[in-house]
Amino acid sequence: MSVAERIGPAIDAGRMSGRVWLYTNYHCNLACSYCLTSSAPKVDPRLLEPAAALRLAEEAADLGFRELGITGGEPFLLTWLPELLVDLAALLPVTVLSNGTLFTPKLVERLRALADLPVAIQISLDRPDPVANDAMRGPENFARVLAALPRLVEAGITVRLATTVELEEIGPGKTPEQERLCALHRSVGIGDDDHVIRPIVRRGRAATGGMGVPATRDDLEPELTVTADGAFWSPFAPTVTAGRLDTELLLTRTVVPLAKPASTRLRLFEGRPPGHDTTLGIR
Amino acid sequence: MSLVPLLDAQQAPLPAQEFYADGDPGPIVAALAHVPEVLEVTLPFLGVVLGPSALSLRTKEIVILRTSAVLACRYCVDTHTVAARDADLSVDEVRALRGEAEVAGAFPDPADRSLIGWVDAVALGPGTPPPEVAAAVSASVGEAALVELTLLTATTLLLNRFATSLGLPTSPETLRRLGEEGWR
Ligand code: SF4
Repeated sequence: MSVAERIGPAIDAGRMSGRVWLYTNYHCNLACSYCLTSSAPKVDPRLLEPAAALRLAEEAADLGFRELGITGGEPFLLTWLPELLVDLAALLPVTVLSNGTLFTPKLVERLRALADLPVAIQISLDRPDPVANDAMRGPENFARVLAALPRLVEAGITVRLATTVELEEIGPGKTPEQERLCALHRSVGIGDDDHVIRPIVRRGRAATGGMGVPATRDDLEPELTVTADGAFWSPFAPTVTAGRLDTELLLTRTVVPLAKPASTRLRLFEGRPPGHDTTLGIR
Repeated sequence: MSLVPLLDAQQAPLPAQEFYADGDPGPIVAALAHVPEVLEVTLPFLGVVLGPSALSLRTKEIVILRTSAVLACRYCVDTHTVAARDADLSVDEVRALRGEAEVAGAFPDPADRSLIGWVDAVALGPGTPPPEVAAAVSASVGEAALVELTLLTATTLLLNRFATSLGLPTSPETLRRLGEEGWR
């Protein structure tokens, strides 16, 4: 049976995520204290060129994958990203992660085309207060995100919010601080269904700083993830610790054809014991 | 000093991890692990070509050590000096294979000498081995054995260049044996 013939049933049976993640770059205008990829302005950008990203997305669609995730680094540092998102969304629905600090009125104008396409921008905001938020994510982060959210919403673009905190802060109910954060996103038109709260994972800069929850293969939802350095088990896998790419969750260096890492991923998942990915909520 | 970091069990990519199940798999695996899809097919291949087969262990060690000495591969010469002694080759035979003594003196059997002549011709090249060397080895081994020991020579060449170019380190255990047995 071909890889394409195996992927659809594996997704339907819940044995494989229908989403493929692409790391477009590793550099970022911020340098958050818990960053998995140890991103910062001057790091090796490890670029996935737009033509390569598009080709991978075409293959993902042909193989039967159903969604794309775009992450980094900060993808919106790439000048070609708005046009690339339009091209990707013609193939599959796209969620793109962003720190939300680069959405100037000029950039939002370039993004208006996304309003009619299956594209969601997922923006990080961790705390409802600038002091607490910016301590983790850098100066002015809170203010810039708060300026960007209504701009994007008014442009008709689907916006989601992601909050990353220590695992102990995630309970069955929301903390008073999280309630204030929710009031804040509701006030700009982002509903509760479009807000995720997830734990800091102890990889990359978080590991160096002793933050977050340790996560092994079985703690991470397996979602095929492609970077310039190869294909990985999960979007939480291709992390960078002390300047070196972590390789223990690497699947293959070959990323084209995408069927190669996809088949390795299928084979490894079939031998995978039940894991904790759902209980930890690392997804 | 290795040109690339040798991946330990904690850094080994998912498809490579089975090769670490019994402990340190050695520098060839630890280097190949950087490209797990290559490791996954190379290791079974190496296992078949270098491991137990229709050729005797002694014959295989003659081929591997001689090829490695001709190619001046420090890693493979070190490793297979010890392996050759474990395969019951004498000290004099090992010295001759390493190029430190005359082959004719250490190997009185003409079949062994024709084998070593064939290995030298295949390893050194260039071009087709001389007809008289091919005739000599063909007279002493069957067709299947000739195919297998030629592939063994070629595979050893591959490993020689891989290990030498990347500067793979001789294992501490091998260094200890070489010291104890007077090879260093
Ligand atoms: S966590 Fe995101 S925003 Fe922060 S440094 Fe890393 S990539 Fe940039």
